[in-house]
Amino acid sequence: MEAAALVDVPAIVARGFGKRYRGRRAVSGIDLSVGRGELFGLIGPDGAGKSSLIKAAAGVLSFEEGELSVFGQSLAGDADAERIKDRIGLMPQGLGQNLYAELSIDENIDFFAQLRLVPKAEAARRKAELLAITRLERFRDRAMKHLSGGMKQKLGLVCTLIHEPQLVLLDEPTTGVDPVSRRDFWAILGRLLRERGITALVSTAYMDEASSFHRIGLMFGGQLLAQGTPEDVREQVGGTMANIQAPDSAALLQALGGRYPQVDRLGTQIRVFIDGTREAARAGLDPLLAAVPGARAEYDAPDLEDSFIALARQRGIATLPPPAVLKPASGEAGEPAIVCEALTRDFGAFRAVDAVSFDVHPGEIFGLLGANGAGKSTVIKMLTGILQPSAGRGRVAGADMRSAGFAIKERIGYMSQAFSLYLDLTVEENVRLYGDIYGVDRRRIGARLDWVLDSAELRAYRGERAARLPLGLRQRLALGCALVHEPRVLFLDEPTSGVDPIGRRAFWTTLQQLARNDGVAILLTTHYMLEAERCDRLALMYAGRVVAADSPAGMKAAVERESGVLLALDCAKPEAARALLERRGYAYCWVYGAQLHVLTPQPERDLAQLPAWLDAAGLGPARAQRRSLSMEDVFVHRVTALEAADRKAAKAA
Amino acid sequence: MSAALRRPGLGIWLRRLAAMTRKELLLLLRDPVLLFVIFYGFTFDVYNAASGVTLQLKSAAVAVFDLDRSAASRELASRLQPPQFVPLPPLERGGEGQKLLDRGQALMVLSVPPGFSRDLAAGRTAPVQLQIDATNTALATLGYADATQIITQFGLEQALRRQGISEAAAAELPQVENRVRVWFNPNQEDAWFMGISEMLNVVTAFAILLTAALMVREKERGTIEQLLVSPLSALQITAPKVIAMVIMIHIGISASLLLVLEPLFDVPIRGSLLLFALVTTLYIVTLSGLGLLIATLTRNLAQAAMLGILVLAPMMFLSGVWTPPEAMPPAVRMLVHISPLYYYSDAGYAILLKGAGLDVIWPSVLGIAGLGVLIVASGLSRFRRQFG
Repeated sequence: MEAAALVDVPAIVARGFGKRYRGRRAVSGIDLSVGRGELFGLIGPDGAGKSSLIKAAAGVLSFEEGELSVFGQSLAGDADAERIKDRIGLMPQGLGQNLYAELSIDENIDFFAQLRLVPKAEAARRKAELLAITRLERFRDRAMKHLSGGMKQKLGLVCTLIHEPQLVLLDEPTTGVDPVSRRDFWAILGRLLRERGITALVSTAYMDEASSFHRIGLMFGGQLLAQGTPEDVREQVGGTMANIQAPDSAALLQALGGRYPQVDRLGTQIRVFIDGTREAARAGLDPLLAAVPGARAEYDAPDLEDSFIALARQRGIATLPPPAVLKPASGEAGEPAIVCEALTRDFGAFRAVDAVSFDVHPGEIFGLLGANGAGKSTVIKMLTGILQPSAGRGRVAGADMRSAGFAIKERIGYMSQAFSLYLDLTVEENVRLYGDIYGVDRRRIGARLDWVLDSAELRAYRGERAARLPLGLRQRLALGCALVHEPRVLFLDEPTSGVDPIGRRAFWTTLQQLARNDGVAILLTTHYMLEAERCDRLALMYAGRVVAADSPAGMKAAVERESGVLLALDCAKPEAARALLERRGYAYCWVYGAQLHVLTPQPERDLAQLPAWLDAAGLGPARAQRRSLSMEDVFVHRVTALEAADRKAAKAA
Repeated sequence: MSAALRRPGLGIWLRRLAAMTRKELLLLLRDPVLLFVIFYGFTFDVYNAASGVTLQLKSAAVAVFDLDRSAASRELASRLQPPQFVPLPPLERGGEGQKLLDRGQALMVLSVPPGFSRDLAAGRTAPVQLQIDATNTALATLGYADATQIITQFGLEQALRRQGISEAAAAELPQVENRVRVWFNPNQEDAWFMGISEMLNVVTAFAILLTAALMVREKERGTIEQLLVSPLSALQITAPKVIAMVIMIHIGISASLLLVLEPLFDVPIRGSLLLFALVTTLYIVTLSGLGLLIATLTRNLAQAAMLGILVLAPMMFLSGVWTPPEAMPPAVRMLVHISPLYYYSDAGYAILLKGAGLDVIWPSVLGIAGLGVLIVASGLSRFRRQFG
């Protein structure tokens, strides 16, 4: 932002920007300015209007309302856009969407260099430099289609930067990429921006990436709800988060009595967002809690996702589902519903799943985490009988799905990443189709249809084709179809990709009720670490193996035991600070937005010592703060350590 | 648990089949592009083939380079007349004929040398030269045959006249008369043959491509996994697609026969439509096996369509519709027997034009059925191996 002050014309200015598709308003009334050298992040779910704004700024999408200019050049007409195209780089949405699958890394980069008429010697120099920064040199002969999601996106970034644009527009570059690669991607982009003074307008659906950006714009339903630094935005929304622990959550919810519109359940906690200051929140809530035996509240600042939801609620553009009223947990009773015994699957010479063992009990929500290609989906496919295991056994409801008759298949529900719906069938037709397929009793099918329409709030869309539903509703319909036959075991393969936070919350409320109240065993995979926090137990997969399995709290505690407690350091030069601490023997530090995060076994001592070191080295003024680990921290920590071990082993060999 | 593990009853089995078939039909009916393609294929495409494609010589451009400029040479030239021929303006210089042939503006150039009429009058052999553009061999053959017949007739008449035999006397000369009886298509209407042929081709194309498309679409959208996890057998997943397609194609054939071929081209439907429908159903089921095979080999719609065309082309060449098997090289003649279209077109023409019954066409039906068992079994087994 300092850079922006030096130059008169901002990189991007939008005034009252709006875009319609076939008369339907997709985006409207966007006022926004992105300064030079700034990394501006548009954050919001699918369909919020992020892509429209980014494409319009790249000059590849015409718009109807307001003004939009890039480097002072208005983009009102097609000819205008041509004038700025050599100064901008666009990376469209979708993994490797701008690349050629059959070409190698080298060939892809050369192609883009030639397309942009970069002189040969200059192109070679830039290529070498960018490949070094992105650590892709070792793979330069590998065809793009054989790269992991994270590597594809890094290559996409290199190809976007090869003509040295002054402005890059990146549309959801991290969607579908695992948390480790996501963090890596933002770190690389941040470094390139700092070193070269490039401006970037990027978008993401992941709230937890907000801290990677200088400024953010929260988008929802075609509107820009708020903009500013992540801290600014949180302050604009205000509010207080009360995390309440109570032995009897039903009594607690009754005591709250619908006074608070934003209540949510996370594990054993009830989380209440309260508009107003901490003091006001306490004054309102504490008397209510006094009536609930054993209830205890901790007050905290809301995280960005809570603030986002609060904003959408305050503007009246979203209604929130009430929290799930659950029966008290009965402990692990009875036989496990899903059992994996050294489950293994080979694809040729490649071992996709390597001796995976775990079990899931009725009433439990079990999450499988892991990067792309870690083997999560393959496990689910073996358990549901789509794939044959190479070795080991998977048992569901007491039977092996491979040999089990149809009767067992009638007891499981499955929902794939693609929300396997027939888009040209209506809501009702989809539900009835699956009802018939699963042989639901004819008299019962009407009642089940009503249940789906009510619980998924789809009654108004009964005769609407699935293709016309927004993504969040489509997902709920898919869940309804997977549940129409009241299965005892439910498999969900990345069920919430691209769904907005409010939709995700409603989805989780349903899952919690199914598990706790109806005793359904649920196995799911996810990329959203905020979602992983909501599972009862988790298994983290890496290269086909389960490398950690525990409750979310247990996983965090294990990391703290092994590697230390998380300290967040505010300092002027996080990159340099990181180098300094690494030299001093701190193995686990990473740059997190404008902060440096460090794991330390001696937090009390280091709270004072680390800022003192940084101040002495001229990297201050520094300030340290203790932070609790997030699931994302745990994931990145574990996977990074494993990757480092693999590299070491490869070098030794 | 043991009570719950019972085999599903027939009622449930049929209900699943019915639900899946209903789904396929709804999806087909809600795809306006696909519906249009099917409608177009069975009506306009058949109409175009029946009205546009002819196997007879029509309006072939012919130029005459007459160096004799006599009554005889003019009479010869004047006999090249419509409808077979369209005479071009007479040529003035030697190179012009070659140019017309090179540019494709004339199919034939007839050159009459000087002294043509003098030679005729003197009773000598009078040569003329006929140049033909044989780029399109079928057209050239027809042109050659028609032109040769006209010139021979002219020569014969000249010879008789020189012998002093009057036309009346000529009629008394002994002659062999070839009395042709044309059966099944007495006026030799190409529209009958071409129209039906195209309809059978359209049936073939849809039966293969539609099955493949319906199957690959489930793969692309990921719905196939949902079905595989559900209590449906491979047959219950695939059969509904075939049933839906059989229904659509029968509607298409009805439109073809009753809205286009019969009213517009007077194609007689002599045999039993029920028998034709049954044979067609057997044929579609056979080809759907091919579609299923294609779907297991491809990942998306584009690949499936390409592979489908690759399979379709040789099937049509080998069907015997374009070239009778007797005219093919011996090795290829054997291959004809693995083209289901060969049997189907035999049976189709026999039923529709000859009014043949099962007693006549049973070998063809047996051929389709035999191939059908093989193809469908391998298609299903590949499907089971890939997904089961």
